[in-house]
Amino acid sequence: MVILKIDWLAALAALVVLAVGPWLSGSSYVIGVLTVALCFGMWAASWDFMSGLTGRENFGHSLFIGAGAYTAGFLNVNFGLSPYISLVAGPLVAVLFSIVMGFPTLRLKGPYFALAMLSAAAVMQSLTIIFSEYTGGQDGLNGLDPMLDSTLAYYYLTLFFLALTAVTLKLLANSPWGTLLRAIRGDEASCQAAGFNVTFYKIASLTISAAVAGLGGVLYAHYQLQVGPDLFAVILSINIIIMVYVGGMGSIYGPIGGAILLNVLTEAFRSFSEYRLWVYTLVLMFIVYFMPQGLIAPLWRKIRAVAP
Amino acid sequence: MSTILTVKGLNKRFSGLHAVKDVSFALEAGALTGVLGPNGAGKTTVFNLLTGFVPPDSGSVEFDGQLLDGLAPHQIVNRGLARTFQLARPFLGMSVLENVEVACLAPRVRQQGRPRLRAQRLLEQVGLGERSEFLVDVLPYGDLRRLEIARALATNPKVLLLDEPFAGLGSDEIRPLADLIRSLHRTEQLTILIIEHKLRELMQLVSEVIAMDFGEVVAVGPPAMIVRHPRVVEAYIGNVEIGSALGRTEDSLGAA
Repeated sequence: MVILKIDWLAALAALVVLAVGPWLSGSSYVIGVLTVALCFGMWAASWDFMSGLTGRENFGHSLFIGAGAYTAGFLNVNFGLSPYISLVAGPLVAVLFSIVMGFPTLRLKGPYFALAMLSAAAVMQSLTIIFSEYTGGQDGLNGLDPMLDSTLAYYYLTLFFLALTAVTLKLLANSPWGTLLRAIRGDEASCQAAGFNVTFYKIASLTISAAVAGLGGVLYAHYQLQVGPDLFAVILSINIIIMVYVGGMGSIYGPIGGAILLNVLTEAFRSFSEYRLWVYTLVLMFIVYFMPQGLIAPLWRKIRAVAP
Repeated sequence: MSTILTVKGLNKRFSGLHAVKDVSFALEAGALTGVLGPNGAGKTTVFNLLTGFVPPDSGSVEFDGQLLDGLAPHQIVNRGLARTFQLARPFLGMSVLENVEVACLAPRVRQQGRPRLRAQRLLEQVGLGERSEFLVDVLPYGDLRRLEIARALATNPKVLLLDEPFAGLGSDEIRPLADLIRSLHRTEQLTILIIEHKLRELMQLVSEVIAMDFGEVVAVGPPAMIVRHPRVVEAYIGNVEIGSALGRTEDSLGAA
């Protein structure tokens, strides 16, 4: 119980820092960087909930992000609907995608799920180009309405949704449901032998993962006020997986920290100009080599172990 | 006694290999029965067919008055037919207690008391009570076998299928495990079917044996009869040294 309390206190402290920091700085640059970082936090946490817990790696998480973001773009730009409708519609469309993808591929063993997700995201990226008269092609859809007038207020809205989804995912991960998802990672046949419909649990957790990723996509779209084919890009999915690894897989909070850390680092390395990617990559290699379990979650576990 | 499991005419081919040929047998409720046969005789495939992990080409399985045709593994477990695996398959990365707790969350048993407490009780029953907090990854092989049994028991089965529980164990580990299986049979009134290819361990434990070779049931009967059955002797020893091998088996039977 004491340990649980420390966890929630730390989460609260992190939330306070994230809430007060941008307000104190007052810089719209800082607010912008952190808004994007929070979106990545939602994407990393949602990837972790399905793939981190069950071990079935999803190499096309951008499929759900793009689905949410383009839903926001279509509804707002093409149909002139209120951005707030997308907060519900975006996740719903992403869930639809996850059912279409999960139902045929998560019944199979082997790499089919990972490969199917990878290709589906790539196919969607091409489709945005092919149907450019509706999607705006390479330029994407521009001129989305902002949800709120002030960027700081929008930052707080994003922070609210990140906190809400993070707590939900963490509670689910700590529940019997999460125990079962970790057991699936351990051994699928043993889960079946224990009486569980493994396929159902994998698909259900993918839909939850997709809903959160789609919501993040909607929030991202209404921050950028633009959606483009890059939101379906493989590199986006890979970046999210890297953030999860750096944060510590299967912990939910670690990947959120990893996402914020790497987003902030990328910005901090701007001073290295053309060497920026080199430095970034070196830091990543350093972390993966010396801390294969990740940085944030293992570090927190160590702190917690010595805490009174 | 009533029949709890009836297997009729099971067949399974794996691209040319007739792994299970027209296998039929029945289990009485409360029986402790062995499936004997050399490696490759089709014993594990029979288990996979019974538990829905592999669909049969033809034949039927009737369990507790109902046909199991076309049911998925988890549905069969939730009707009370549980199994262990030949190679222990623990949930790596989780504690011993969590491993059993998972099985206590299954739909069939979810309502039977708090999963954590039930899991701890089951671990004590199989002799792992003091290791419940260990990470399962560091458990020695003999303990993994016990864990497999605890996990199967967690689903509160009517019939328990054990796939080579003694494989890879030293002789000092075999006896306590055999004692555990015997006591489960006695105290829980559990119907148990054990696969084993080691004659001696099986013969001391069970009251009836189903002998298999090349995918077929070649003999059914009490152990003393099975060890003398010509097809069993042939499968096990070939045509050489029959006399001395039989003598050894009978010695061990006498000691039991």
